[in-house]
Amino acid sequence: MKEKRIPQPLVFEDYFQLNKADLQKILSISLSKGGDFSELFLEYKIYNFINMEEDIIKETAESINLGLGIRVLSGEKTGYGYTNDLSFSKIKKAALTAAAIAVSPSRKIASDLASPPLRHNFYPVLDPPHRESLEEKISLVKRAYLAAQKADSRIEKVKVSLQDQIQYLTAVNSEGLMISDTRPMYKLICFAIAKKKDRRDSGFSGGGGRVGTEYFAQELTPEEIGAKAAEEALNLLEAVEAPAGEVPVILAPGYSGVLIHEAVGHLLEADFIRKKTSIFWDKMGKKLGNSQLNIYDDPTIPHFRGSYNIDDEGTIPQKTLLIEKGVIKGFLQDRLSAKLLKMPLTGHGRRQDYTHIPIPRMSNTYIDQGEYDPAEIIKSVKKGFYAEKYQGGQVEDSGKFTFSVSSGYLVEEGRLTAPVKQATLIGSNIDILEKIEMVGSDLKFGLQTGTCGKEGQEAPVTDGCPTIKIAKMTVGGRK
Amino acid sequence: MKKKSLLLTELAADLVAFGKKNGADETEISIIDGYEFRVDVRFGEIENLLEAGSRYLSFRVIKDKKTAFASSSDLSLKTLQHLLKKSIKRAVLANPDECSGLPPLSSQKINIPSLKLYDPEILKLSSEKKIAWAKETEKIALQDKRITNSHGSSFETNEIKFILANSNGFLDEFDQTLCSFSLGLQAGETDSRVEDFWFSTKRHFHELESAEEVAKKAIERTVRQLRPRKIRTQKVPVIFEPMMTSWLMGFLFSCVSGISIYQKSSFLINKLGKRIGNEKVTVFDDGLLPGKLGSKPFDSEGVPCQKTSVIERGILKNYLCNTYAARKLKLKSTGNAAGTSMSPHNFYLQPGNQTPKEIISSLDKGLILIRTLGHGLNPVTGDISRGAFGLWVEKGEIAYPVSEITISGNLGDILNRIDLVGNDLDFYTPLAGPTIKIQDLTVAGL
Repeated sequence: MKEKRIPQPLVFEDYFQLNKADLQKILSISLSKGGDFSELFLEYKIYNFINMEEDIIKETAESINLGLGIRVLSGEKTGYGYTNDLSFSKIKKAALTAAAIAVSPSRKIASDLASPPLRHNFYPVLDPPHRESLEEKISLVKRAYLAAQKADSRIEKVKVSLQDQIQYLTAVNSEGLMISDTRPMYKLICFAIAKKKDRRDSGFSGGGGRVGTEYFAQELTPEEIGAKAAEEALNLLEAVEAPAGEVPVILAPGYSGVLIHEAVGHLLEADFIRKKTSIFWDKMGKKLGNSQLNIYDDPTIPHFRGSYNIDDEGTIPQKTLLIEKGVIKGFLQDRLSAKLLKMPLTGHGRRQDYTHIPIPRMSNTYIDQGEYDPAEIIKSVKKGFYAEKYQGGQVEDSGKFTFSVSSGYLVEEGRLTAPVKQATLIGSNIDILEKIEMVGSDLKFGLQTGTCGKEGQEAPVTDGCPTIKIAKMTVGGRK
Repeated sequence: MKKKSLLLTELAADLVAFGKKNGADETEISIIDGYEFRVDVRFGEIENLLEAGSRYLSFRVIKDKKTAFASSSDLSLKTLQHLLKKSIKRAVLANPDECSGLPPLSSQKINIPSLKLYDPEILKLSSEKKIAWAKETEKIALQDKRITNSHGSSFETNEIKFILANSNGFLDEFDQTLCSFSLGLQAGETDSRVEDFWFSTKRHFHELESAEEVAKKAIERTVRQLRPRKIRTQKVPVIFEPMMTSWLMGFLFSCVSGISIYQKSSFLINKLGKRIGNEKVTVFDDGLLPGKLGSKPFDSEGVPCQKTSVIERGILKNYLCNTYAARKLKLKSTGNAAGTSMSPHNFYLQPGNQTPKEIISSLDKGLILIRTLGHGLNPVTGDISRGAFGLWVEKGEIAYPVSEITISGNLGDILNRIDLVGNDLDFYTPLAGPTIKIQDLTVAGL
């Protein structure tokens, strides 16, 4: 496959009309009250949206986000200012706002800026979304729409939307780092409603990632996305009520990665560790789960939605081992947490945009595959619940988590039987890690459409896992 | 009131004219000019201090009944004119839609000062004072021996100006302020921790709960969950605390929103004028309550806000609509437009007569729902399934906390099975309701 790199534009010069000397000056203003460290985050983002419903392209939208965030660290304290008015006086005001967090007689001097070359690109694309014509994008939307609509006469309603984005960013800091990234993103999603007599149910599917338009020809076609959404809605028409109570639970490969995102990933984010609010804060090196359990967070998987060439603090990201053979081995770090915990950076400092302070976040989180044949896992359960697709999940620091299953199956005598609708799984994370009994050999990732929210900030993520058996878990159905 | 921002108002009006000149049949320009301050304090020290002003411009153009939207944080005239021209070209590629278009200019005008959306006192609060209050709140909580860790406390203020201009001749603006206190706590040892938080958000500083009140509620809400038990799966009566009624109202809002209705993604389609709940259920959406968080003079399309009766004694009276959904459903806009989607004003369940205490006393055996976790709401079917935390009640008294349970039911059933409605309505958020008791719900545990 021929691969073209997206040119790396110098955003601060192209869009901000600021040169290196200007940036150096802003850094020194932000350190003028005695801060230990300062950082500029320059962002230019173009987002496009197409929406189709009721058989017509109903609307399109474009949004431009241009702005500059300035952060100053002083010990454990963070000062932050931002502006989207790029006049020097407004930038100076934001720098002084951030600077005010420090009250120290000592004056740090910002190092001279140097730009280390990036030797990797995790998202080389042929046809980046922002260069694609609107006509071509509309045709992707229509293809998915028609595929869902034509799937069955019981499909009553279809909705398809395509979102794409190109984000140019530059992180500059007082340690002399100046580094840029250009991040493409596509997301095509389809929502379908099926109706049978008085009953209606909905299905959802989608795809994308840090990819070019070629993805929809080579990896996942719009037709497949539309057909899957319709199939899910149709399946649910036949679904029965979920069981209620404690039963053995099998997690389907792929989508079930949300379990590991909620139950494990969040509580290994280093801000919760240093604040000791996470139940894991004192558990480094401790064995909490089955020896089959290996968990990673990897921002370097090519073309994945959660991947990045540099994190939003300019750090080169690393595939990070979180749990090895059931033992806690690592945390997800941003600069502040790594410094306070005296641990190495992992490249997980992320932010929604220039108006937000970076915090430790997951990227692509997964349970690595084990040895069990998935068929053998299903066979081992006499009566239980097979969780297949999810609406999402939530966790709190104490380790209590839930996830909402949108579709699944009953397991009876080692076989998947009736499809089951809406149910919630609930548990506490240490308990669940202990109860993971079998890890399958079929690692898969969920849809490339997921977004994680933390402290009011959204970040694109993916997660994955093989087929997994949990000895017992509370399923909140109605039967 | 604040002075009009002439420059931004002129910019909005100029862009409407520019749209017309460049071939748009209709143009709508809105500008948000915001200022935010936030301090987060933890263990007596500032964690984050943020202060910034920012502006954002959004527009909609319609040509031959085809619509395009755009927005930009770059307010330079060159960027905006380029974006506007591009949008008109982009609109041509969409399909014509008879229901598209701006609302006609309304002759009705809401008196903006009477809504009391703006408190000049908030802008006079010094950073030092705001930081001191945040510290004070947390300090009170940390003096309580049962509290073992803190998520920190925050104090936040916002000032937002909204300007709207369109080619039907609408040009108006209003200012609003917000201030907010919050505190998150943990109690218990590392492996058996419980947590919760409390907050107070108001438009007027003098209405904000004091540091003591916020701290006291956060402590009480946290420690009451200590040493939880698990319970067996069963069907029992469930009492919703006001914050829980509030999420139920949020779900109801999404099911009566005209967008969900015309998209057929609500279980309440074709139910207008029909009974969807029992006599105890009356729900309003009121955009005109003075000083409340959901109040506004006009929505994002310039339609005057109003008080809309949504459910009256169990009968579904109105769907809430923006202009587009209203045209689709052949109804009238209720002034709930918010950009391309919709938002509630003060959307609330009408309170009843009983005190929360009386409601609890009436319960022989059942659950008080105090928190939920997770998603699990399906507007297409009305199905609800959520992780939950609660207090177990026996013979009218709270016996012990319970955790790791889920509740499941259906909003349609719930509206028919509300048998007690409390008198404790308070608008903590724009979605509000008093304590209510539901005849029974499935609670799943062991």
